[in-house]
Amino acid sequence: MMLLNQIMPMILAQAEHAQHVNVARLNDQFSWASMILWLPALSTLLCGLCAALKIKNKLPAWITVASLGTSFVLTLLLYINYSGPTIVHIFDWLNLGWTSNSQSVNFIANFSLYVDSLTLLWMLFVTGLGTLIALYASEYMESDVGKGYTRFFAGVSIFLFAMTALVMGDNLVMLYLGWEGVGFASYWLIGYYYTRPSAVAAAKKAFIVNRIGDLGLALGIYLIWHNFGTVEYSVLFEILNGDGYSQQAGGWSIHAIPYLLMLGAFGKSAQIPLFVWLPDAMEGPTPVSALIHAATMVTAGVYLLARMYPVMLLDQYALPIVAWVGGLTALLAATIAMAQHDIKRIFAYSTISQLGYMFLGLGVLTSFGAAYHVFTHAFFKAVLFLTAGAVMHGFAGQLDLRKISGLRNMPGWRIVSYTMLIACFCLAGFPGTSGFFSKDAILAQAFVTPGYGFRILGWIAIITAGLTAYYTFRVWFRICAGPVQFEMGDEHHGDDHHGNQPHAPRFAINFVLIVITIGAVLAAVPFFMANTTEGAHGGWVAEMIYDSSAIHGLPHQAAGAETQHATLLGMDPHTAMYFVSGGIGIFGILIALYLHLINRKAADSLKNALLGNSLTRWLPTAMENKWYVDEIYHAIIRAPLWIIGHALNLFDLWFVDRGIVDGIARIPKLLGKVFQPLQNGILQSYGVSMAGGAGLIAVLVIVMPDLMQWLGNLLGGGG
Amino acid sequence: MLLAILLILPLVGAIAIIASPAKHAKWIALFISTGIFIYSLTLAMSFEHWTDGQFGLASEKPFQWFEQFGITLSVGVDSVSLLLVMLSTLLMPLCIWGSFSAITERVKEYYGWMLAIQAAMVGVFIARDLIFFYICFEFTLIPMYFLIAIWGGENRAKACIKFFLFTFTGSMIALAGLLYVAWQYSISSGDWSFDIAQLTTFASTELTASQQAWVLLALISGFAVKVPLFPVHTWLPLAHAEAPTAGSVLLASILLKLGTYGLYRFILPMVPEGLLYEVTLPLVGWTFIPLQLIAVLAIISIIYAALICWVQDDIKRLVAYSSVSHLGFCVLGLVALNPLGMQGSVLYMLNHGLSTGALFFLVGMIYERYHTRDMDKLSGLSKSMPVWAFFMVFFVLASVGLPGLNGFIGEFLCLIGTFVATADNTANPGILGPWYAAFAAVGMILTAMYLLMMVGKVVFGALKEPTVSHDSHHKPLPKDLSIREICVLAPIAVLCLYIGLQPKPLTDAIQAPVDEILAQYPPIVNRYHASQSRPDDFVLIQQSTEPGGAN
Repeated sequence: MMLLNQIMPMILAQAEHAQHVNVARLNDQFSWASMILWLPALSTLLCGLCAALKIKNKLPAWITVASLGTSFVLTLLLYINYSGPTIVHIFDWLNLGWTSNSQSVNFIANFSLYVDSLTLLWMLFVTGLGTLIALYASEYMESDVGKGYTRFFAGVSIFLFAMTALVMGDNLVMLYLGWEGVGFASYWLIGYYYTRPSAVAAAKKAFIVNRIGDLGLALGIYLIWHNFGTVEYSVLFEILNGDGYSQQAGGWSIHAIPYLLMLGAFGKSAQIPLFVWLPDAMEGPTPVSALIHAATMVTAGVYLLARMYPVMLLDQYALPIVAWVGGLTALLAATIAMAQHDIKRIFAYSTISQLGYMFLGLGVLTSFGAAYHVFTHAFFKAVLFLTAGAVMHGFAGQLDLRKISGLRNMPGWRIVSYTMLIACFCLAGFPGTSGFFSKDAILAQAFVTPGYGFRILGWIAIITAGLTAYYTFRVWFRICAGPVQFEMGDEHHGDDHHGNQPHAPRFAINFVLIVITIGAVLAAVPFFMANTTEGAHGGWVAEMIYDSSAIHGLPHQAAGAETQHATLLGMDPHTAMYFVSGGIGIFGILIALYLHLINRKAADSLKNALLGNSLTRWLPTAMENKWYVDEIYHAIIRAPLWIIGHALNLFDLWFVDRGIVDGIARIPKLLGKVFQPLQNGILQSYGVSMAGGAGLIAVLVIVMPDLMQWLGNLLGGGG
Repeated sequence: MLLAILLILPLVGAIAIIASPAKHAKWIALFISTGIFIYSLTLAMSFEHWTDGQFGLASEKPFQWFEQFGITLSVGVDSVSLLLVMLSTLLMPLCIWGSFSAITERVKEYYGWMLAIQAAMVGVFIARDLIFFYICFEFTLIPMYFLIAIWGGENRAKACIKFFLFTFTGSMIALAGLLYVAWQYSISSGDWSFDIAQLTTFASTELTASQQAWVLLALISGFAVKVPLFPVHTWLPLAHAEAPTAGSVLLASILLKLGTYGLYRFILPMVPEGLLYEVTLPLVGWTFIPLQLIAVLAIISIIYAALICWVQDDIKRLVAYSSVSHLGFCVLGLVALNPLGMQGSVLYMLNHGLSTGALFFLVGMIYERYHTRDMDKLSGLSKSMPVWAFFMVFFVLASVGLPGLNGFIGEFLCLIGTFVATADNTANPGILGPWYAAFAAVGMILTAMYLLMMVGKVVFGALKEPTVSHDSHHKPLPKDLSIREICVLAPIAVLCLYIGLQPKPLTDAIQAPVDEILAQYPPIVNRYHASQSRPDDFVLIQQSTEPGGAN
């Protein structure tokens, strides 16, 4: 209860701020903005046309790059002309209205766009990175020209369409459309190499695990409509801001909403307990991993919660739970990442871990920190995946960090090595990099916001930062530094003339790597950019939050309500964090430097020492086996369902059908058999049966009134 | 008379087929059914009551059949009936065209029966007289019986008998219920009438609650078998597995809808009091109301059938069981007693007709090529049949309920309708609510599980095709789909996408009739809730503004 008393004034202070949110208005001026949505859809159709016409060149890639690029330019134009939340109506979709019981009711979920600064923040990096990664893929996928090339780019286009709908939709149902749409695109692209059983299984797993989250989101939407009578953001926020909703009011139907939305977010953004699909999703082509499973789609959960921040405040325990789930996911995923050998998987677990940070940020009331980390992470993680992809492409699918070494000294691999280095610095939170500032915003806030053990979470996050630095540089020191050695993978392209020699990336891949790396470096700049908006600290990104529903989580905004500012190591947490997280980041890098570059044998002997000791043996084993989460899920969910399914199948066949149905059908036949002996042609027996029949009728006549009354009682007594 | 042509044309066509040489049979059938579709399109375009919920195209002076009993052959459609008529006239030419390669024996009879069943199906939806309705309703059984019995698979004898007896028994009981209503009407007004509108008004206003409950019991016995709901669904997988492709398509797309249409047209308007009548089971003493029982059976159907689907090896049985699961949503939406659920349910009828019909076509196309439906023997077909694979994935997604395609619209509305069907919903109170919706929504996950399992096995993976020996009298089909087969699937795919993005014309059309049926419910449901001790945990936030609530 102490904690409760501590946190309540903060949240209430935030609710007051909510009234400053500008109310969105309908605007015809921006009707061209709908092209941001339609261009990717058009691109999908054109790719489909290419497939139908059996086009065997790179045309689909150029169509996709052109339409996504145009989409990006339009987003930029929208940003430049932006002057406050706006709604752009496209067409009526689910739009029902009726009058009943002399009340008029409506359910409105149109195809409309809701443009505010949060939307723009997301759309800028979604379309921007989408364009660049499509360009990268035009080269990366070239060995599939004429085979899966069009299928791939149709998938990328449909992903961008769905993602745009998710981010720009003006209501929750359209968000749901995008939400399921990106899930489908993800399914489509993870299963791109559909002849590989593992890819098919991974695709299926991703879709189904996501559907569990989607169920939560859908139920959350139903509850929101049930309680507030709308699913449109503008109306919903007006209700929430206007009526002074407080956390204690309302029955469980209000308080359940944040938890259901949370479930959706955890599914899409791969958090505990629904993170298991993301590592397997690495079966997809690497550009897909970079775009969908690192930079954009997986941040949809963060977007949902940031967008629904006023709704998340409806229950006082909701955001603390988000924080804890985020913090623990960050730690768990980081420990797994330390023990993997496949670099794409390491980056996948790293993505889960970083998403954990973002949820931690949302939970400790810094939607600014979360959004900023989404933004920086999108760039540097995209670079990491794209460099991993370049390695995979050049070394015939080799991804094992034990089998490639000294990449930076190989001819043609310099750009890959050094862009990867810069991205590693960002991920490790090396002082001065973009990742450093965005992560610190979250870490420091964990010490500032009083709440349910948030300081413990802060320390967990700091430890995780150290682990992150370690596993990140483990990859770089292993792959890029050290003596030149390599072993080719076993996937040879059909047109591979290089035999067993790696082939270095060419223009498209290198160009894209450089551009996104520059983006990753420059992503630190917005943090220092001056604000034009009163009361918003944290530069451009904070300003991008200011106009939106996520305003509640701006830095220092709640601080005004605080009586004593929390401290860390005797300093203001924001200042202290620069030293603490910077220091632990460098410490992690140094350990990686020793174990994986200077004395590589030490890493093995350390592992062997752990394995040799019966007390510590479990640790590396469990980490390498991903804490057995997949196995546990299989045992407690899939296996029982499988057994139930088979049992029901037999039950249906033998009991319901053969037993009851056929049994009832046999009754007339049985009756026939019973009465058959009566018709035996012997007069006496006919006489007996006649007498019996007369007796039966007499009994029936006597009993009939009672019988009828019993039948009447059967339904509760006649009336 | 305009509508009656829809009924007469197919019968004329059937006679023409029998009278002409066998080699022309399929072309005559295609020509006639396409003509009927075009004719129904013109009817739809000239229909004046799309948005006001009235019956149109009615016969001015209906043909008196048995004057002393008031039995007439009157016809008329409202927007919902007309949409279902359109669904059947659209699917029929596709079914006929889709059968061209599969049916090589006794073609004259086959196409004759196809047209006969079309007449019966259309008759069900346009009948405004009870006896006429019932005759059409039952007459759908006979052509289907022969379609299964003659052109079916190995177990066809068992399948068609079970199909016939099962559904026939059910509808006999339903007939008893309907006749009871007519009899009561004749007692009270002194005159016989079988006019559906008159009997509906009479039953809902004049019959006592317990009478309505008995009528409900009779009607639901008949319609639940057709839908089908658990536990009276077992004829369906068998009939589907044995029926020829076009038979399966018609069975899933139209004949199952007769059950939900019966619920929509008869049960909901006729026996509102009966649906909310408290029943106490003798001996065990359980108390429930029929509406809840129907909803629970629908939810059991959803989950039970979905789990069974998941462990099937036979792809056609899988799609058949999926119908049981899907129609659970449809029934649930109907008993939600609010426009969201009911609109969703009507849309679900149309959508399920399109997407599941297409899935049966696709399964049939595989069967024609490989003569197997065993998913363990087929794998990776997207390698050898990319066009087929595209359509398969597309219709599976429509069936899974991917937003943007048609399946989503119906499913979403059914579920949200069920969810908000609570006492607090002052405009449209209901007696279901969040828990019903939450359990039903688990079906969303299970649907994805079994359909993606099927896609993963059959469409994706390493290519595995059984070797097929071609029999002499079958013309070998191309490896991938032929132009004819693409033309059968493409219109359905276009409609699926169109309805997914533009449901507004449909929801506008369905709104008025649905509102009319629901108008009588709020007072009855409120009375029911008043008689119950109301659980107060589901309270609107606006109502709890007492001091201390907000801090």
